[in-house]
Amino acid sequence: MTVALPARAERRGLGIDVSKPVLYGFAALLCVLIVLPMSWLLIYSFSDGKGSFTLNNFVTLFSDPTFLAPLLTTFIISTSASLICCAVAAPMGWLVARTDLPFSGMIRALVTASFVTPPFLGAIAWEILAAPNSGLLNKVFRSITGAEPDVHVFNIYSLPGLIFVISCYTFPYVFVLVANSLDRTPGELEDASSILGGGRWHTARRITIPLVLPALLAGALVAFLQAMTLFGSPAILALPAGFHTMTTKIWSLFQYPPKPELAAAAALPLLVITVMLLRAEFMILGRRGYSVVGGKYGQPRLIPLHAWRWPIFLFCLLVLALPVFLPYAALLNAALSPVATTFVTFKTMTLHNFEFVLFELSATRLALKNTVILGSATATIGTLIAVIIAYVTARQAVTGWRVLGFLATAPIAIPGIVLGVGLFIAYTRPPFVLYGTLWILLIAFVTIALPAAYQQLQAAFRTIHPELEDASRILGATRLKSLWQITAPLLRTGVIATWCFIFVGVMRELSAAIILFTSETKVISVLIYDLNEGGDLGAISVIGIGMLLITFAVVIAVNRIPGFGSVRFRNS
Amino acid sequence: MASVELRGLTKRYGNTAVVDNVSLQIEHGHLVCLLGPSGCGKTTTLRLIAGFVEPSEGEIRVGDKLISSPAHTVPPERRQMSMIFQSYALWPHMTVAENIVYGLKLRKIDRATIGQKLDAILATTKLAALAERYPGELSGGQQQRVALARALIVEPETLLLDEPLSNLDANLREEMRFEVRRLHDEYRYTTVYVTHDQSEAMTTADLIAVMNLGKIEQAGSPEDIYDRPQSEFVARFIGSSNVIKGRGLDATHIDFAGVPLQCVGATIVAGANTPVSIRPHDIALSAAPPQQFENVVPATVVRQVFLGGSRDYMVEAKDGTQLRVVTAAEANIPQGSSVWLHLPSGRCRALAS
Repeated sequence: MTVALPARAERRGLGIDVSKPVLYGFAALLCVLIVLPMSWLLIYSFSDGKGSFTLNNFVTLFSDPTFLAPLLTTFIISTSASLICCAVAAPMGWLVARTDLPFSGMIRALVTASFVTPPFLGAIAWEILAAPNSGLLNKVFRSITGAEPDVHVFNIYSLPGLIFVISCYTFPYVFVLVANSLDRTPGELEDASSILGGGRWHTARRITIPLVLPALLAGALVAFLQAMTLFGSPAILALPAGFHTMTTKIWSLFQYPPKPELAAAAALPLLVITVMLLRAEFMILGRRGYSVVGGKYGQPRLIPLHAWRWPIFLFCLLVLALPVFLPYAALLNAALSPVATTFVTFKTMTLHNFEFVLFELSATRLALKNTVILGSATATIGTLIAVIIAYVTARQAVTGWRVLGFLATAPIAIPGIVLGVGLFIAYTRPPFVLYGTLWILLIAFVTIALPAAYQQLQAAFRTIHPELEDASRILGATRLKSLWQITAPLLRTGVIATWCFIFVGVMRELSAAIILFTSETKVISVLIYDLNEGGDLGAISVIGIGMLLITFAVVIAVNRIPGFGSVRFRNS
Repeated sequence: MASVELRGLTKRYGNTAVVDNVSLQIEHGHLVCLLGPSGCGKTTTLRLIAGFVEPSEGEIRVGDKLISSPAHTVPPERRQMSMIFQSYALWPHMTVAENIVYGLKLRKIDRATIGQKLDAILATTKLAALAERYPGELSGGQQQRVALARALIVEPETLLLDEPLSNLDANLREEMRFEVRRLHDEYRYTTVYVTHDQSEAMTTADLIAVMNLGKIEQAGSPEDIYDRPQSEFVARFIGSSNVIKGRGLDATHIDFAGVPLQCVGATIVAGANTPVSIRPHDIALSAAPPQQFENVVPATVVRQVFLGGSRDYMVEAKDGTQLRVVTAAEANIPQGSSVWLHLPSGRCRALAS
């Protein structure tokens, strides 16, 4: 018997032939997505609007008081929000991971709820709760004390109010980093200290806290970044109070008459600081390898809180009332009440707001249509790009795969509003006049969605052992057939989850959309922003509740997929 | 059927040669073990044979067909081979039966034949009761048997095994060793088996190729490798030989601790520092001075341990060289005693230095 091998000469390594164009094609695509808008941003920031080089934009930025004030405000907000987040989230993370706090799973779920609440929605809910005159909490205060109608205890339209609301929806970043780090720190490290004579509190102070310190530091940086690049909350709370942050200032430069050069110059520092802080976060977390060395480790022994168990639990609930219970209740109240800022009773309860949003408000239908189109298109294209890049990098299929991986993660360092400015400049000129179309929003959303999608799918690929494909090939299947029969079915849940995840992300995106939308290309998040300007809080609440329900459904589904636990939305 | 031949096979990643000029002739129907420590290039050699890796230099032939060379590599799916992976690589989304018949379906074999073959292989590998289970519901040993069945059902020309037993516990490993050999004898395909476990290699292989640093140090029958090691690496890696070093006196003698020691094996160069291997079992140890003094070295007992069936000595010669000696359990000589070691000349193998 002879070997049944094909006699004709085979081209070597079928994969190489296809993968070169794939590599170059995708590298080029990613360059267009990222490098093009960022280059225009850079060029515009050094331009006077007539095409000549100038440094005037930066001189204005750093000398004009109308720019210096927002710069300072942003710094104050970011720093204080970051500190507050650490002060709240670090102890809570430790309590949940290392003590016998009751219902710690529920606490984690509530933190996740505030994690996935769109910050602009939270800000609007807090408007309903704590606006100086109409705020529900102020009304409660007045009815209890019998104070005059113009007396108020809470004013959300203020710097402290803004810092408070931003902290409400930023502290989960710190919490997740700290709690994850503690979850991964093996209990044996603490047991080793105990056996050597360290008491529980001594061990916590000398072993546990130093081990999570890098995570806390990284969390502080991320919280700072989030607070700095947020657009929704400051636009909703700071503008009525009469002050600007950097993001709202950049946005205002697009109001008539538009000054894109100044906007580009103002966006550049945000970009630079983001890149630097992410770099710092990476370095801090990257050095922490020692806490996750291999081997089998047992569950950590939990520190008993004794008599403090229930008081501390109640305190945690009280803290979580601020980002979750109170705002959600306010939204529900506003959705069901004829007037958003009065308490609903069984007598006054109405579905009028639902009717109005679903059937009467003409803007809803357009925004809904645009959001569904953009959401599906972004999710499909983004997932496709991410799958291919994740495959190439996970299997190291072509030389140069690192470049692709880097480009796919790069947009994480571009704040939404900065990307919006860059895209605005890049696509309002020939040959690509896309401004005013859905295309420009699609490009923005794909770019924004790519890093998270790529990281998720890469994690999914990592759970599929490469030998599974090898086994199929040695039994006679080609590379493509192996992909189709083995890899694709195993990857299916991951792909579906990523698709849903991107869709929800598009729904929540505000800071890039606010720069790029026109009246015909309005999306749901922009509609909410518009409705807020018109004071239509009941309608917002209806849309917001729908948004939250979809988000929760996706997050709960995604959390069931192994390896997907650490996904995070970008807030805008 | 066909033999497999590697000629000057080399694989470089950057400047490091992971597989370095490896040549090996594997007769049809033989079972060859590539044996070596981790990182010695044995798995890369196997993946070169499978076609997952393209050679930098050299070629692989099956029968008279060239299947791998730097210019031209037949893809794995066209090689009529099967492979058992270290991770077993069972597809978690397919049942045991679906996993096993995958290769047959690709070969467009009719349903009835597939059914017959499946029943036969399920019976051989004692998996009939588990056919509808998913791999995640099986124990390690059962998964191993599914991997075997999946590889064998396509009746490959060549079977490749990549440390197939390393994930099993000790008892099961012993059992599966004989199973691998039994199936090989039954089907008579050419088999290449990669392992780092010398007793696994000894029990299964017709030919063992000991690899180190990307090269084949020595290839031969298990007896050859064990009794006639050619290099210090092979002597130490297979069994645990004592390797003593001495200055060459003439073609067959070295000077060891002042005693001229007659050796076999490589020709000794006078004056050259020459390594000589001898197994702990082959050294005779006596408390009384022996009758004759050829190849007898005086030494002192450093320590000794009773191991039930035998006794394990560590002795030290005059020049400070320590040797392990295994004797009958009854030979109880206390620590610190003077002893005489007889190193039979036929067991002292001079190695290439």
